[in-house]
Amino acid sequence: MSGLVQDFRYALRQMRKSPGFTFVTVITLALGIGATTAVFSVVDQVLLHPLPYPDSDRIVKVAETFQGVSGTDASPANYLDWAAQNSVFAEMAASRGWPANLSEGDRPERVKGTMVTPSFFSLFGINPILGRGLAESDAHAGNDHVVVLGYGLWQRYFGGDRGTVGRNVRLNGEQYSVVGVMPPNYSPDDYGELWVPSPWGVPSHPLAPDKDPRQFRDRSYLDVWARLKPAVTPQQAGAELDTIGRRLEKQYPNEDDKIGVSFLPLHEYVVGDIRPVLLVLLAAVVVVLLIGCANVANLLLARAAVRGREISIRTTLGASRQRLLRQLLTESVVLALLGGGFGLLLAVVAVPSLLALSPPEIRQFKEIGINREVLAFSFLASIVCGIVFGLMPALQASRSNPSEFLKEGERGSTANRGRTRSVLVVAEVGLSLVLLVGAGLLVKSFARLMDVNPGFDADRLLTFNVGLPSSTNAAQQFAFYRDVMQRLQALPGVRSVGAVSRLPLAGGNSGRSFKVPGIDKDYSADIRVSTTDYFRTMGIPLMKGRNFSESDLGSSLNVAIVNDALAREVFPGQDPIGRQLTNFGPDNLTLQIVGVIGNVRHVGLDTAPHSEIYQLLGQAQWPSVFVAMRSATSDATSLTSMAQSAVWSVNKDVPLANIRTMQELIANSVQRRRFSMLLLAIFAGVAMVLAAIGLYGVMSYSVAQRTKEIGIRMALGARRPDVVALVVKQGMMLVLMGILAGTVLSLAMTRLIAGMLFGISATDPLTFAGVAVLLGAVAFFANYLPARRGASVDPMVALRYE
Amino acid sequence: MIQLKNIERTYKSGAGQTWVLRRVNLEIQPGEFITVMGPSGAGKSSLLNVLAFLDDQWTGEYWFREQAAYTMKRKERAELAKKNIGMVFQSYHLLDDLTVMENIDLPLSYKDIPRSERQSLVADTLDRFRIVAKKDLYPSQLSGGQQQLVGVARGVIHKPALLLADEPTGNLHSEQAKEIMELFRELNQQGTTIVQVTHSEANAAYGTRTIQMRDGWVVGDTANPNLSPANLTATEPRDAAVNR
Repeated sequence: MSGLVQDFRYALRQMRKSPGFTFVTVITLALGIGATTAVFSVVDQVLLHPLPYPDSDRIVKVAETFQGVSGTDASPANYLDWAAQNSVFAEMAASRGWPANLSEGDRPERVKGTMVTPSFFSLFGINPILGRGLAESDAHAGNDHVVVLGYGLWQRYFGGDRGTVGRNVRLNGEQYSVVGVMPPNYSPDDYGELWVPSPWGVPSHPLAPDKDPRQFRDRSYLDVWARLKPAVTPQQAGAELDTIGRRLEKQYPNEDDKIGVSFLPLHEYVVGDIRPVLLVLLAAVVVVLLIGCANVANLLLARAAVRGREISIRTTLGASRQRLLRQLLTESVVLALLGGGFGLLLAVVAVPSLLALSPPEIRQFKEIGINREVLAFSFLASIVCGIVFGLMPALQASRSNPSEFLKEGERGSTANRGRTRSVLVVAEVGLSLVLLVGAGLLVKSFARLMDVNPGFDADRLLTFNVGLPSSTNAAQQFAFYRDVMQRLQALPGVRSVGAVSRLPLAGGNSGRSFKVPGIDKDYSADIRVSTTDYFRTMGIPLMKGRNFSESDLGSSLNVAIVNDALAREVFPGQDPIGRQLTNFGPDNLTLQIVGVIGNVRHVGLDTAPHSEIYQLLGQAQWPSVFVAMRSATSDATSLTSMAQSAVWSVNKDVPLANIRTMQELIANSVQRRRFSMLLLAIFAGVAMVLAAIGLYGVMSYSVAQRTKEIGIRMALGARRPDVVALVVKQGMMLVLMGILAGTVLSLAMTRLIAGMLFGISATDPLTFAGVAVLLGAVAFFANYLPARRGASVDPMVALRYE
Repeated sequence: MIQLKNIERTYKSGAGQTWVLRRVNLEIQPGEFITVMGPSGAGKSSLLNVLAFLDDQWTGEYWFREQAAYTMKRKERAELAKKNIGMVFQSYHLLDDLTVMENIDLPLSYKDIPRSERQSLVADTLDRFRIVAKKDLYPSQLSGGQQQLVGVARGVIHKPALLLADEPTGNLHSEQAKEIMELFRELNQQGTTIVQVTHSEANAAYGTRTIQMRDGWVVGDTANPNLSPANLTATEPRDAAVNR
């Protein structure tokens, strides 16, 4: 033990003795360990921690499948049958988004509510912190005006007042009694600001809130959740659900044709999409750390050579190899721990920035930060690093023959003993190439994505969401929207105003099935309900036919405008204008096509446009709409307060929600890609700089070792350019080997990020070549500097010591 | 062949200057075999470095084959040296990673000589120095004498007019030293002007003229019996001893 203490003390003294070396080492390690710790803190919470519900691994998300492909929702009738017929789930629950206008006094706010079955609370196993959850008795007409508040809303809107429970609040213009408050972070459905029951037991349809939904088998809008019974395996559950699905398909051949049922573990449902991104980033950051370790190993190797005399003396004085190894490893581990300590500080600073950059799938994990596991990780990572980068130099130093060092001064050797160091540099260059290729591919993908025409003009567009309570009738809703449109249009600085049920890139979608006379085929398309000025406001081009007009409102003919994708799919080579779409939606409407508009990327810039059908608001209704306002000035957000006042002047209980510019919506839609691209680019940049520093170090060391040789060459007639060429050639050979190795490795590794690419192949030769050239150029400079120094060697000085 | 007039060389040391060459005046005729002797620190190697154009921080006049080398730019001097001067070192200074043949080829590789010509020159030299059998060996596989043989071969391969040798036998035992000195005599007889620095009286005996140095001054020259230490002391400036 006292030996260890002595080693530790000696390690500290060594660090003090060479502050430059200590500084560079600690900074390199702090960067590597800090970045790794920061990414790990995210991976830890998102991927490694169970969700915050008791036995959360038994909770699953159940959904209908169509032709074997899993969907995300289910119809109420199917949900009720699954719940009644299965023996594998201890409990099932259903929910749907229920956006609500919360108005207490003069502060209306649009909140993310959810309409749920009472079992929703017991299924997730979380108790309210105040009052109670929902009970079976609440899910009946007359008892259903009760609400459970989320913690965030309770704090924000009610100031955390414990007396809120028992009070009445106005939701969508009706009185609801607050019965409970849920704890923080309870948000299984990613809405989670408040929960209400349905008078029908299962959540009602958003477009038909007054109809009993329990018979709806062809309208899928429910999120269904279930908890597996303790002894039931997922395989057993899957088999039984299959059987139930087939039975229902037979029983309801029209509604459930090709419909089955499947489920996904809740954790997979929540983090499934982000998992590959996080794993790639974790791998990248570990590579950065490895490159950092290689750099430090190189520095230690150089120092081991310098310390040869000290080691020789220790050996001649009786130090065993183990003893020397222990001492040298203690030194490297102490260095690593110091680097790890600073790395941890770096991580503490970096994690909030990381989260600010991150997409909502990550940000929803509020616990992300430096916790006990992360601390343990960074401690362990430091120790492992210390051993990884310390072992080779320590082995080499402890193996050296003391007599060599005694002879050394006698006859200068020009031999170049740096093979290990060269191998490390080749590895560094190769690994950084892999990261650079990955980052290059993501950057190029992102650029391609941003070049995609979304189908509309996103500049100067302010968008927000307004909605009247679903209890209002169609006429009231139409009158409200018409008045709002008129007031908004009259605002100064507003060029035009339109409204639509589903705004591109704002999330959410709705579909309908339909037929075409004379064709025995079921079609389906996305459905939008819009105002007459919507297309003009958005800059969506009219390609054929006409726009909606005011006169359509008074007509008995249901008009429709379809997009180019639908026209090509359903009426290839024909003129769709005047053609009819029949059996449209559950009400079996017949629509007549009056116009064709350009395609819009609704789901994402990276998703090909679907077929779309637009109906005119007034001929069709929708519970809430997105308003799009095109501003005359470049700052569309300046219209916000005027827009709010204009809406309040029509109805003082209706707040604006989701106020965003169209540019923000585009930015949000690519957030996950931007997150992975930015992070990988940062890591690749750091890796490249570290590799360059490593190369610089090795070449500097090599030049120092070769001073005498260079002196001889110059004495024999070599000119400066000869010497520069000599050194650069040596270094660039290493770089070339690294680039070759890295290219081979990249070809294998980029396949892992193929799913994150857009419009570019994972082996894009231009990216590979560009990255190799970039790395080569940076490496050339890292080579050139020591080479130039080598060429300035004074041959007299180099030869003098004899 | 060479005329040095008032060559002086100083080094900065601490607060002042250290003089390593003081008012050196020297004339070297073609075909001479000059030995420079003197105690350590006398300025022998410094003089050699000046002669070799390895050093250019001196003052005074240096004429090389009627050319005013002291007015030339560094690059021109290097060119002059490359063509006319060969060097042999006490520690041989062979490159350990190169074979005997490659070491010998080194000075040629820094000149614009076609490869075929270089190869024949190297072959001739190997033959002349009777080291053909060793051509593929590395320096570490040779004895000290053999290494210096290679060092000399390398020094003369480009047929320099002037061969400068700094303690060429300092690391060799007497038998090997004798061989090298015989070689020098042979080269001198073939027309190469040689300037060697040595502590050995035996080696000096091979030369045709001996120069004595002390504290940077040339204090004796067998070709100039008038030069005596007494005369020098009288002319030494007062500040000369300050930083010595």
